[in-house]
Amino acid sequence: MKALVPVKRVIDYNVKVRVKADGSGVDLANVKMSMNPFDEIAVEEAIRLKEAGKVDEIVAVSIGVKQAQETLRTALAMGADRAILVVATDDVHADIEPLAVAKILKAIVDEEQPGLVLCGKQAIDNDMNATGQMLSALLGWSQATFASEVDVEGNSAKITREVDGGLQTISVKMPAIVTVDLRLNEPRYASLPNIMKAKKKPLDEKSAADYGVDVSPRLEVVKTEEPAQRAAGITVGSVDELIEKLKEAGAV
Amino acid sequence: MDFNLSEDHQLLSNTLNRFLGDNYDIEKRNEAGFTAPYHLQDMWNGLAELGVIGALVSEEKGGFGGSAEDISVVFEELGRSLCVEPMLGTLLALRVLSDHGQDERVEQIISGESRAALAVYEPNMSCDLSAMEATAVEQDGVWRLNGRKSAIYGAPGSDFVVVAAKTESGTGLFFLENPVLICAAMVDGGGVADLVMENTAAECLALDAETSLTSALDLGRIALCAEAVGAMSALQDLTVDYLKQRKQFGTTLSSFQALQHRAVNMQIEIEQCRSIVISAVGQFGQPGGERNVSMAKNLIGRAGRLMSEESIQLHGGIGMTWEYPGAHFAKRLVMIDHQLGDQNDHAMRLIATGAKQLVD
Repeated sequence: MKALVPVKRVIDYNVKVRVKADGSGVDLANVKMSMNPFDEIAVEEAIRLKEAGKVDEIVAVSIGVKQAQETLRTALAMGADRAILVVATDDVHADIEPLAVAKILKAIVDEEQPGLVLCGKQAIDNDMNATGQMLSALLGWSQATFASEVDVEGNSAKITREVDGGLQTISVKMPAIVTVDLRLNEPRYASLPNIMKAKKKPLDEKSAADYGVDVSPRLEVVKTEEPAQRAAGITVGSVDELIEKLKEAGAV
Repeated sequence: MDFNLSEDHQLLSNTLNRFLGDNYDIEKRNEAGFTAPYHLQDMWNGLAELGVIGALVSEEKGGFGGSAEDISVVFEELGRSLCVEPMLGTLLALRVLSDHGQDERVEQIISGESRAALAVYEPNMSCDLSAMEATAVEQDGVWRLNGRKSAIYGAPGSDFVVVAAKTESGTGLFFLENPVLICAAMVDGGGVADLVMENTAAECLALDAETSLTSALDLGRIALCAEAVGAMSALQDLTVDYLKQRKQFGTTLSSFQALQHRAVNMQIEIEQCRSIVISAVGQFGQPGGERNVSMAKNLIGRAGRLMSEESIQLHGGIGMTWEYPGAHFAKRLVMIDHQLGDQNDHAMRLIATGAKQLVD
């Protein structure tokens, strides 16, 4: 079985995000970019499935700017077998919307015929949490979102999902789309020998037009602003005073 | 000119940054750095598994890199995390061992199976190899070493030490298994040792290895300079963050123009240091490349001290407390100046090589 893993190039999770002065978006000039952490978990899970003999080939896909090639090289250095880069824009500040991404992914799925699509539950830049679900709808495949455990057995997969208030275990028919959550696994580090091997792995470059998908935005960003500053705390002298203050604040 | 890292180096840098960021916080580092054997074995194994030790040696000699650029990428990240693992000693030993066909030993070191250090310096010696006093004499088919070696970086807990000693043919290299060492922590953490040799039997690797030794030491200096650039960047980030948070006279320190100017001067120093390291890396192995190394080591020595002092000054008292990471970065930067020749030694070396060029 082939596994397809879409990965997104996003602002590194350690970077302190700054909003552009005109509020039109986030400043990405000279900012470190990395693979979306949830996608990294998806790559790791695909590698583990391959190591367990349940997956034969891992294909990583990235849709966005040409620089996303670096993100794909990371996936290849971790253990993916080959990669497809779909250049959909030249502007590093442009975010390809989930529907367009899902349409391109559908075209790739039609071409590659994977048995499993493993993707992050959401990207940490826009927090949309939509691509996996949209892809599932377009393909008419089963979907299992927020996976914290994946167990593929023949024509079905048992997936444990992280839902409000607990865990839910479902069984889905293959082929399926699985969107992964934070606690599924701990992604491995790309070792230097694997980084060198990754150079020799194939990376195909395509464009959105190759798949006949219109990537022009349907949403308009009206305003971007920094979260409100946290107010300074106060020290209270006793439990009674604490309760009183909480009552004043309407918290209890 | 493109000063950006190549894709491979970027990936290596990211891997190391993440590995050290996830596993090597300042408390863990301080505990390891000041307690024998002055490093963490599981971290060392982790670095070996990632291929970081292999990055110090070329592919044809069993490693995965070995260029001055590979080494500077690794050490810059080590500096950023203030890593006390014995990478400098390992780099020096690996380079001379790989130059003298010790493939099996090189392989063992790269895999993390064994660890080595290089003993060059002596109590009465600066960075000039001709002042070396330790001797090696062959008696009845056995090489015997006499003399004292000091400042053997990364030696505590190592499986063997490669010793440089004077022979009739020049500066030779000798292999000493399970050496008896006098170990200590450096003032900034990390292990260092002295070695006293009295008719100590050793295996001869080379009778005249001065070229190989000089090249290994110069690579060590480039490594230290790159480490300093990483440490300076991290210290600058800490300082600027502090200035933006700390309030005095009802406003943040960062709003005072005098302090902004000092922070900018620190940033300029870092950029100068980064540039001179790039120059030393680019010229390494070229005729006259040792001049660039000495220029870099001299500038880094001066800039490191300035960065340490400015950072403590801008922080105030907290900047030199044990609990604050900035103090340990400051100590490391001051210590880097003294390793493998300080700013004065390298100014002298620069003058000497310049004079030699004029005569030639």
